Order: sequence, then structure tokens, then C-alpha cells
Amino acid sequence: MLFYIIQRIGLSVLILFLVLLTLFALIHIIPGDPVSIALGPRATPEIEARFIEKMHLDKPWYEQFVVFAVGALKGDLGEDIFTGQKVSDIIFSQLPYTIALALSGLGWAVCIGIPLGCFSASYPNSLLDRMLGVISVGTIAMPSFVVSIYSLLIFAIMLNWFPVIGAGEKGDLIDQLHHLVLPAFAVGLGWVGYLARMVRASMLEVLSENFIRASISFGIPRVKIIYLYALKVAILPTITLIGIGFGGLLSGAVFAEIIFARPGIGKLIYDMVEARNFPVVQGSVLITAFMFIFTMLVTDLIVAYLDPRLRKKL
Amino acid sequence: MKASITRRQFISGMAAASGCLALSQFKFAYAGNTSVLKVRLKRDLQIIDPGYMIGGQESAAQYALFPRLTELSFSGKTVGWKPSVYMEKIELRDDLHIDFQLKKGFQWTNGYGELTAEDVKYSLERMKSSDYGSQFDAIKAVKVIDTYSGTIVLNFAYGPLFIESLSMGVGSIVCKAAVDKMPEKKFALDVPASCGPYVIKEHIPKQQAIFVRNPDWTGPKPDFDEIRCIIVPEANAAELAFEAGELDLTRIESNRIPPYKKKPIPNSKLKIAGYLNHAWIGMNTEHPKLKDIVLRQAIRAAINTNAIRKVVYKDVVEPAYGIVPPGLIGRRENCSYSFDPKNAKALIKKAGVKNLELKLSVLAKNRQQMLAAQIIQSNLKDVGIKVKLNPLDSGPYWSLGREKKGDAWKDSQIWIMAFGGTVDPSGYFQYFIKSQVGNWNWERWSSEEFDKLYKQGIAESNSKKRHAIYVRMQEIMEDTSAYVWLHHEPEAFVYRDTMSVDIDPEGSFLFPSTQKI
Repeated sequence: MLFYIIQRIGLSVLILFLVLLTLFALIHIIPGDPVSIALGPRATPEIEARFIEKMHLDKPWYEQFVVFAVGALKGDLGEDIFTGQKVSDIIFSQLPYTIALALSGLGWAVCIGIPLGCFSASYPNSLLDRMLGVISVGTIAMPSFVVSIYSLLIFAIMLNWFPVIGAGEKGDLIDQLHHLVLPAFAVGLGWVGYLARMVRASMLEVLSENFIRASISFGIPRVKIIYLYALKVAILPTITLIGIGFGGLLSGAVFAEIIFARPGIGKLIYDMVEARNFPVVQGSVLITAFMFIFTMLVTDLIVAYLDPRLRKKL
Repeated sequence: MKASITRRQFISGMAAASGCLALSQFKFAYAGNTSVLKVRLKRDLQIIDPGYMIGGQESAAQYALFPRLTELSFSGKTVGWKPSVYMEKIELRDDLHIDFQLKKGFQWTNGYGELTAEDVKYSLERMKSSDYGSQFDAIKAVKVIDTYSGTIVLNFAYGPLFIESLSMGVGSIVCKAAVDKMPEKKFALDVPASCGPYVIKEHIPKQQAIFVRNPDWTGPKPDFDEIRCIIVPEANAAELAFEAGELDLTRIESNRIPPYKKKPIPNSKLKIAGYLNHAWIGMNTEHPKLKDIVLRQAIRAAINTNAIRKVVYKDVVEPAYGIVPPGLIGRRENCSYSFDPKNAKALIKKAGVKNLELKLSVLAKNRQQMLAAQIIQSNLKDVGIKVKLNPLDSGPYWSLGREKKGDAWKDSQIWIMAFGGTVDPSGYFQYFIKSQVGNWNWERWSSEEFDKLYKQGIAESNSKKRHAIYVRMQEIMEDTSAYVWLHHEPEAFVYRDTMSVDIDPEGSFLFPSTQKI
């Protein structure tokens, strides 16, 4: 297990380095002059000069990379080119909102999706199973921005149950939860379908195993067999899926954040790309990439812990 | 038939009813606070310091926080200026001297004392070396006469001074004593002292900025206790939030004006703040394919700008007859050419051009420009010119005509150009003088008369004379046949019908003059 952990951490570090390299290349790959791209048309020469100096654009590319990489390793992600605020401060002021959204969105999806998958697997090919199949595929196929817009129109505009924009009053937890309901619903709905289908498929495989047949023959209650014995084994691929889902939502909840005008990393990246504020874009992507890699690392370690066979493969 | 209810059903019903009640309480609590005005900001505030702001959103905050010597006045579509509430008087003694006298008693926050002529001197002179220095080049110095009076001494007569430099956000007066204590003598959101009708109570990054009434302000008391500037980047989300009652004022996209007029949101009004955005089709007069002025005249006559306005912009834009928008000095009421495909064909024949193929560059992310480009493509096809669309990302697009950004200018042929403008006409012409060829004068023509008139226009303070100058300058531009004037897009806002609002033509909300009706 220890060797596997070391191998897995090494791989994560390598991926992170590649991300760092790609992010640095970002500003040089985009066609056009970086100063014009960042500052837009008709910026005054004074602003242009200050930008070039701040971004070290007057230095050779390898020096720029060293400055960027060393800074990132020290936790210094640079400064916002316009306001001079620390990029790390900006990111960490937004991150809790994204984590809350990802956790709540995925949380309710797990609570609904896994039991639905178990239920479907318990009654395979029944009318209910088929109906759940259609609904699951439907929710998977529905993009989160469509769900966001319709949930907003129905629950906020027509029924007036939930607010349209924002993340709620600072310090008012109830208000913040109230503002979280629709975005969490929007980002989680697709995952209900994913998880239900995934759990169903795994469960069907596990339910045909000998140890399950033996349990049934011992007269152990069906509910206990499904939720205690079978699910424990069938959940393994689902854990990986949840890990990917959480990591993806860190930057992938952008549509929900934009439509509901919620603060968050996805929206921050979107805004900063629009404003061509490259240090903040680089910093935000780096942090989300780091969190994604970390989440995958933890997920893989959990799965490897639960299933020792997997420790031999990287 | 006997109706029965189980214990479980009863408990479920009660829980659902409690939930609904709790949710309805939320809405009631929001609606109850009537002296809070909720305004949409497209992006977060970044730098409020007038010398180093990024522009746009910060102007609204500056209007709320800082004094200015003059402020904009509106009469129909016409924009002018008037002395601000901070002034006892401000008058032009001659072309090079402006005398001013502040009202007594306006206090800076944080114990920095009274607003004085020293603060005016400090603020205007510091702008000369700021990021907006070019707007203050005309100011030589500010002479302080006594605590409240002074004279602005100019290097040269400067027509745009009152409207563009003194009345807008860049003309904000800051507190000398407080700013001097700041690192590098600059500030961002950490305003060291303010002296406006409102003060910043709280700024939550990427969410909102909250302004509350300044208790020490001795000017006219603003109607609203609190103004919340809520960051909503997406226009459609803002419109929905307005409809749901979570915003009281929001900008809407110009293409949303017709649906709004057809089915207005209840209890709301529409306001067009201005038409400063201007768009045209430009042609590179030095490109081998477009060197012949007769051919350029043919292209001009072949493009149906009216169709672009109707089809793409649903007739909400104002037609352009030059680059000066409606309401500003120098606005023309017609131009010397019109859509005439027959004439276009005759001119192409006269130019002796056959099988011409042109490249039309357009900003890819601008959906309306892309649609307009397709109409242009079709119009030119009708007269025998094949047009290949060249949609570009903003990086390469804005480098297109600039020599110092690469060689793209050599092959740039025709393009759709759109800009937001300023409240003084001089700002529109500065990009077409000779020194701008290869920089922002992508059409690459020059005229000595034009350059001379540009200087005259800036120095002229008589409105009628300035109007004549700017009309003539647009005629010179038109004579190059390098332009097809398109339109001026409006800045549109919706707001509650229980209040009146002022918005400057650039789209910045004037907090202090917002009133309940």
C-alpha cells in the first residue's frame, strides 16, 4: 500500500507540473498581442507600460516561467494586474462558495441517486426500473444551464419560492442555504442520473455473485443483502465517479454560478477570462487543478484501501 | 363517502405547510425594506481612485463618494454641464482661466476636515500624471486664492474640459491629507476619505458593494438610506432578477428593448441613457484592392445599413451619419451617400474591377456584428463582390490595424468597428489624426485640414463653432470613402416606476440624484 501511495503522489506531482507549464504557455499561445488582449483597445501608454512591467513581459519567456513557477511553489500566485490584490486572497474568498455548491449539489445527488440505483437493480426490467432508466438518462442528457434557467423560471420567477441571484447575506446561514437550493439542484440533477445508472449496473453485477446467492439461501433479509453486503462492493466504481464529479464541479459549476450570479471559482475564472486578467485565471485554474488532483488522489487511495487488488495498478 | 386522514398524512401536510410559510416569510422580509435600492453592476468594483480606475463601474461609485466641480446636465438627448452642488460658483473668466468657489461646510469622512480649494488643486494636478493624464493636459496649474476659492489656469483653451474632465468620474476631488498618507499615494477600494452623499459600508468581493447615506454630508439629502450594488455579469440573469424584484435598476441589452416594449415588466420603466456607442465599416485605403476611391464608393453604396439596423438591431439603434452620436455637439443629420445597388454596380464598372474578393474582419464574440457581417456579405454579393468573413478573437482583432502589433495591418481590408464613446466629441476624432495612422486610424488616410480642425475643436469653447468644426471633420472623413457609417447602439436600463433615475450617457448610474416618486 505504501509503495502505491508513493507512486500515486508522484504521478500527481507530475500532473501538477504539466498543468503549471500549460498555464504559463496560456498567455503566449493565445493569438495576438498579450497587452492588447489584456487591456483591450485604446489603453493609454502609461497603463500598457505598467502592465508589461507587472507581468514581466519585457523578460525572456524562460525567466517569466521561473518567476511564475517559483512563485506558485511558494504559494505566491502573483497580483491582480488591475487592482494589485493578491491572487490567492481573491481565490480563497471565492473557494468556499464553490465547495459549498459542489458538496451540496453532489450531496443530494448521492442521497437520491444511490438508493434509486439500488432500487432499480432490485427489480430489474420491471416497469419501475424502466421508468427510472428513462428519467435517469433524461437528467444526464439535460445540461446544467438548461436546468438552471428552467428552475429559475419556475421556482424563482413563477412560484417566487427561491431567490434569483446571489449567495445570501453574509453571516446569515439560513439565507445562504436558501440561496443555495436552486444552484445545488441545477448542478446535482444530472449526477442523480449518472449515479443511479452506475450503481444499478454495478449492483446487477454484484447481485449475481455467489456470496449474494449464499446470503439469500441463509435467509438474510433482502434489504440487508442489498444495502449492506451488495452495495459495499458495488459502490467502489461509484466512489471514483463521485471524486471526478466533485473535482469537475469545482470549476464546472460555472453555468450555475453565472446564471444565479453566485460568487465562486468557476465564475471567477469566467470573469477573469473576459477581463483578460491572466494572473487570476492562472491562479484559479492552478488551484482548481490542484484540488481536482488531490480529490482524485484521495479517491484512488480509498478505492485501493477497499479493494487491495487495485494497489498493484497505477 | 367518508373522508379520512392518517397520522402520517397529517404530519406530512403540516411539514409542507410550514415549509411554504417559511419560504413566504423570506420574500416578505426582502420586500419590507423600501429605502434600500438594489442596483446591478456588470462587474465588481476594482479601483475607485479616479487616477487609476479601470473605468465604467467605478464612475458610479465616484459620483456617490466624491465631490466634483461640475456635473452633467441632460436636456432631451443633449448633454451639457452645470455647477455641482458643492459649488458656490464656477465660471470661465477667459479661455485660460476658470474661477471657482466651493460651498462651505462639506466635511471629509474619517476626521480629515473640510473640503477646501487645496483639495481641488491636489486632485486636478495629480490627474496630470495619472493614467488619465491626457484629459488633464490642458490644465497648467490650480491657484489657490483662499480656503474655498481658486483659479484653474490652462495651458491652452480646452473645449472638453467641463464635460469630459470635470464632470465625469475622472474629475472627482479627493482628500489631499488622506491620499498623501496612502502607499504610493493611490487607493483601490480602501477609500481613505470621502465627501459625498454616500459612504461605502461594505464591499463583498464578486458579490456586492453596499453604500449607506453619509450622515455628515451637508448637501441635499438623498432619498435612499442604502444602495446595494449587486454584481450580476449576465444580462439575462439580471433581467430575471429585476422581474423577481431582487433588483430595482439594471442595464439590459439593446436587443431586449423590443420585447420589453411589447410586454413591459409590471411596475417598471425603460430609460435610454445615451447612444455613445458608435459603429462603422472601415476600409484600408492603402490596400491594393481598395486603393481606388471609386471602388470604395461602390462598396459604400452597396451596403444596406438600414437593413442591418432593422434585421440585426430591431430598429433600436440610431442611424449614424458620422462618428458623433446623437445629443453631442457635431452630430450630423444626414450623410452624402445612400444605399443604391444600381449606382454601386455602375461604380464597380467604372473602376474596371472584376471578380473582386474581399476579406471582412469581424469580432467573433459579437453575435450582432456577425449577423451584420452576413448582411454585408450578401449585399456585396449582389453587386458582384465576393466577401469572405474573417471572424477573429479579440486579441488578433484589436491588433489588426496596428503596426506595432505585427504585419496584420498590411492585409486588413474591410472590417466592422464598434466603440463606446465619451461625452465630448473631441474624443471621437483623436483616433483619426495623422499620427494615428497605423495605430488606431486603420483606414490609413490623413489630412492636414483634419488635423488643424482637431486642434481648433479642442481649443474652441463656442458650441456653434465647435459644431461646425466637427461636422466639417466628418465630411473630410466621408470624402475618403473609407467609411460606411452604421449606427449608435443605446445604453438601455429598466427601473422601478416608483423612482426617478439619472444615468450618464456612458451608462454609469448617478446615485445621488435617484429619487423616490
